Amino acid sequence: MITVCVSYMFNLVSLFDLISNLLLNVWMNIGLPVILFELIKKFVVAGVMFGLLSVTVMFLIWLERRICARFQSRVGPNRVGFQGFLQPVADAIKLLAKENIVPQDADRLVHFLAPPIVFTAAFTAYLCMPFGPGLIALDINLGILYIFSITTLGVMGILLAGWGSNNKYSLLGGMRSVAQIVSYEIPLILSVLGVVMLTNTLKITEIVDAQKSFFDWFIFRQPLAFIIYLIAGTAELNRTPFDIPEAESELTGGYHTEYSGIRFSMFFLAEFTNMFMVSAIATSIFLGGWHGFGFLPPYVWFFVKCFAVVFLLIWFRWTFPRMRFDQLMDLGWKALTPLAFVNIFLTGIMIFIK
Amino acid sequence: MIDMYLLYFLMIFAAVSAVGVVTFRNIFHGAICLGAMLLGIAGIYLIMGAEFVFAVQVLVYVGGILTLILFAIMLTSKIADRSILQANEQKTVSFLISAITLFVLIYAIVKTPFTTVQGPFIVVDTARIGKSLFLNNILPFEVISILLLAALVGAIVLARKDIKK
Repeated sequence: MITVCVSYMFNLVSLFDLISNLLLNVWMNIGLPVILFELIKKFVVAGVMFGLLSVTVMFLIWLERRICARFQSRVGPNRVGFQGFLQPVADAIKLLAKENIVPQDADRLVHFLAPPIVFTAAFTAYLCMPFGPGLIALDINLGILYIFSITTLGVMGILLAGWGSNNKYSLLGGMRSVAQIVSYEIPLILSVLGVVMLTNTLKITEIVDAQKSFFDWFIFRQPLAFIIYLIAGTAELNRTPFDIPEAESELTGGYHTEYSGIRFSMFFLAEFTNMFMVSAIATSIFLGGWHGFGFLPPYVWFFVKCFAVVFLLIWFRWTFPRMRFDQLMDLGWKALTPLAFVNIFLTGIMIFIK
Repeated sequence: MIDMYLLYFLMIFAAVSAVGVVTFRNIFHGAICLGAMLLGIAGIYLIMGAEFVFAVQVLVYVGGILTLILFAIMLTSKIADRSILQANEQKTVSFLISAITLFVLIYAIVKTPFTTVQGPFIVVDTARIGKSLFLNNILPFEVISILLLAALVGAIVLARKDIKK
C-alpha cells in the first residue's frame, strides 16, 4: 500500500490518469457523452493549474515580504496564521472588498481592459511550462517561443494602463516600463538561443531531457547565457535595480498608480506570476528542470530550483540600488545585447568544431 | 467540431475588430482594435496548426509593431483629440481605389480553384521552415536583413542630434 502511494507520489501523471479514468467510468455509467467529459476535464485542469499558481504566487508574496524584512533587520508579517503564512490571503480579501476607484477623466474602456490583459498574459504563459515529466498542459514544438511571445502581450496591457488612467505618473511609468521591457527582451531571447542551438529544439520538455545529469545542466555549458538571462529577466520584471518604471520616490507607483481594489490585485498577482515564470524558465532551460538527485519527486525538485532562483531575485531587489534610466539603457543595448551575440557566435563555433 | 466553432468565432472577432480599427474616432481605441484583430488572426493560425506563424505573429505584430504604434500615439500630442478629422480631402480617390481592390480580390477568390483536403491539417514544423529559410532562400533572407540594417542606420541618423556643436 505504502509503496503504491509513494510510486504515485513520484509519478503524478499516472495518478491523474487513474482519477480521470475513474471519473470517466462513473460518467459513462450515468450515460453522458464522452466529448462533454473531455471538455469539462480541460476546464478542470485549467482551473486546478490556475488555483495552484495563485497559491504559489501568494506564497511568493509572503516569502518576499519575510526575506526583505530579514534583510532590513525587521520581522515582517508574522501574525496571520503560522509565521504570517496567511497574510497574503488576508490581503487578497481586503483588496477584493475595497472600492474600485476609476478616475473621472480616465478612458474607461482602456482603464477597464488593462488589468485583464496583463493578468491573462501572465497566466497563459504557463500552458507550455513542464512542472515534471508529463506535467505539462500543452507540449507544443515551440514551447520557448510560445512563452516569450505570450509574455510580450503583457506589454500591451501596461501601455493601456498608462494611457487609460489619464495621469502623468501612470503615463510616464507605462512608457518607461515598456521601453525597458522591449529593450531587454532582445538579450533575453538571444541568451536562450544558445541553448536552443545546442539542443536543436524549441520544445521545453526536450531541452529539459537534454540535462539529465548534473554536469549536463546548461548553466555549466552556457554560463554567460545564464548571467545574461538572469539580468535581462530581472529587468523584464521591472524589479530593483531596474525598477525605474515604478520608482516610488519619483513616480508614486508607475502605471498602476490609479488602480485600486481588485484591478490593482490583478496587476500585483501578474507581477509575481511573471517573477515565478522567469525563475521557471531559468530552471527548465539552465538548471535541469525537474531532474534532481533522486529521493524527492521530480516536481518537488522543480519547485526547489524555482524558489532558489526566486530567492536570488529577491536578494537582488533588496540589496542593489536603483539604476538611472540612461545607465539602464546602456547596460541593455551596449553590454547585454552584444554579449548575447558573442555567446551565440561562440556556441556556433563550438558546434562547428565538434 | 469545437475547433470549427472556435475558428468561426475567431474569424468574426477579427472582422469586427478590423471594422473597429477604421471606425473608432479615438485613434487609441482604433489601435487596441488592431491588436484584437492581430490576435484573432494569430488564433486562427494556431487552430490551423501553424504554430510557428502564430508565435511569430504574436511576437512581431502584437509585441513589436503594435507596441510601436501605441508608443507613437502616446508621444504625439493631442492626436487622440475629438477635433481631429477622421477622413482627409481625397475621399473619392481613396473610395475608388479601395473599391477596385475589393473587386479584384473578390474576383481572385471566386476564380481560384481551392482544393479541399480531407482529414487533419498538414502541419509544417519549425525545422522545415528553418531549413528552407537558411538553405534555399538564403539570398532573399540576407537581402532583407541588409535592407533592415539600412533602415535602422537611417533612423538613427535622422533621430540623433548633432553632437559636434
